[in-house]
Amino acid sequence: MSSKFQFELVALVIFAVVIAFGVPAVMNYDGFELNTFARYLALAIVSMALALSWGVTGLLNLGQAATFGMGSYAMAMHLKLRASSGLPDFMSWNNVSELPLFWVPFNSLAFTLLAGLLIPASIGGLIGIFMFRARIAGVFVAIITLAFLVAFQLLVINQQGLTGGQNGLTGLAQMTLFGWAFDPYSMGFYYLVAGCVTVALAIGVYLTHSKFGLVLRAIREDADRTRFFGYNVANYKTLVFCISAALAGWAGMLYTLVLEFASPTYMGVSFSLAIVIWCAVGGRESVIAAAFGAIVVNMLEGRLSDIFVEGWHLILGVIFVLVVMFMPRGIFGLLVEGAQKLRTVGRARPGHAVEPLSTTPLETNQER
Amino acid sequence: MDRLQVTDLHVEFGGVRAVDGLSFSVREGEILCLLGPNGAGKSTTLDLICGKTQPTGGSIHLDGVEISHMLEFRRARRGVGRKFQVPSVYKDLTVDENLSIARSKRPGIWSALTRFALTDSRETEQILDLVDLGAKRSELAGNLSHGETQWLEIAMLIAQDSKLILMDEPTAGMTIQETERTAEIFRSLSANHSLIVVEHDMSFVRSVADRIIVMNRGAMLAEGSIEEIEANEDVKTAYLGH
Repeated sequence: MSSKFQFELVALVIFAVVIAFGVPAVMNYDGFELNTFARYLALAIVSMALALSWGVTGLLNLGQAATFGMGSYAMAMHLKLRASSGLPDFMSWNNVSELPLFWVPFNSLAFTLLAGLLIPASIGGLIGIFMFRARIAGVFVAIITLAFLVAFQLLVINQQGLTGGQNGLTGLAQMTLFGWAFDPYSMGFYYLVAGCVTVALAIGVYLTHSKFGLVLRAIREDADRTRFFGYNVANYKTLVFCISAALAGWAGMLYTLVLEFASPTYMGVSFSLAIVIWCAVGGRESVIAAAFGAIVVNMLEGRLSDIFVEGWHLILGVIFVLVVMFMPRGIFGLLVEGAQKLRTVGRARPGHAVEPLSTTPLETNQER
Repeated sequence: MDRLQVTDLHVEFGGVRAVDGLSFSVREGEILCLLGPNGAGKSTTLDLICGKTQPTGGSIHLDGVEISHMLEFRRARRGVGRKFQVPSVYKDLTVDENLSIARSKRPGIWSALTRFALTDSRETEQILDLVDLGAKRSELAGNLSHGETQWLEIAMLIAQDSKLILMDEPTAGMTIQETERTAEIFRSLSANHSLIVVEHDMSFVRSVADRIIVMNRGAMLAEGSIEEIEANEDVKTAYLGH
């Protein structure tokens, strides 16, 4: 077991303990505060999902909000159907006379939970297959996913009769599972979300430290080289896109449960870019750091908007610029560099000069 | 049967014929050296065999199976390994992780999902000892010196254990001692691998080559043992220009 893996496992345990015991205690077991924190935790999942595709594999997915929105709408539609007797109210306002066929299965909770994971995963996979088979890489991945996001949001807004349009889905019922109603302001609900984050992070940590994760990092560094070792790079990239999309869908479902509505702004460009920022602030190389980044930035956002009602966006913007300029690897990078510095100082102490660490290889001109 | 059979291979880059009607074969357990002046098409030939470049004509057979139009990873799975001219290792991964990537007998996603990245293996240890990198297992590959990077990539190819290994200037930037050690490693590799080596260092070629092909302007100029090549008038003309 490598030291990095041990380090992340310890971080995961600390994270789980803090959100399970520390946070509720600090918030005095207050339902409202815990609901706010549960919102941050749901966003932590989507941020760690981006870390898998962006930080680990090097695929900047700017459409993460679209898959998040799919999960969110899947869950919201189920709760909407449960809240309304017969046709949901917004449909009758829009002269839709009967429930469209594709919404019918969302009457079932089991179907909804599966759909909230599998629909985003298959859409992500489909886009992935087309992009990665054609060996589209780098900035073009960002452009295509962004274009998909914008198109998908437009589609949702324009189909008001089917999706609630600009208003989103409101007036939802509470989810009930085995007779237990999910009150989003209860301790039980908070623990449900906390448990989901922990499980999602455990999956992320396992993936990044499996051979699969190692191949993904190799692909990030040099996709061509990796092909010459026999790895089907397109399949690896497609699968990580699927997994990342499924996790985003999961986060979206939780988000709807926390806020008790779904809105097309969840599929907006600004939300998608915000995910990138959380991920960057925390550190995109580690799933736990990315989750941590989402929580920190959102807490900061909450506090700042309380204190500086007018200028908080500006302050937040300045913080992001500083992060990008001075800690490009995020909080995680700062920790890693700190640890390395400590180790070098420790090594150098017995009177040896510190050797320069890197030597640039002499590059010979490639012959054609 | 020949391990590799190249027949009438052609490739053009914007009107320039980089490889022009090249035919040769490599036997099992043989070390074939490709020589030639700059721009003769040696690296391009390796690119064509490993799939980095698509040929515009001709065919390549590995163990009797046509591979000329397969994707790179399929050729790699069939047993073609490639070392690049500019050492291509993963600089942000450790030496151990680099070798773990190279050990790709099971390159499928499912087997990758069900195994941890680093499993202690005696095989890895032996390979690293062979190239003197045993002490640097957890060092980032980006922190290695140029010679060590060359050896790491050679170690990766040994770990990959391909039937046919293509080496593009494996000793570039190595000291004389390192070059000698590399020659030793290559000779031991040839026991159960076939190698095609592009190299300029004649003493190295002399010590490893079973057979030599001299290329010029994309075509074969001469073929034979080292003595035959050194006595060949055409080769002298191609190198010296008169």
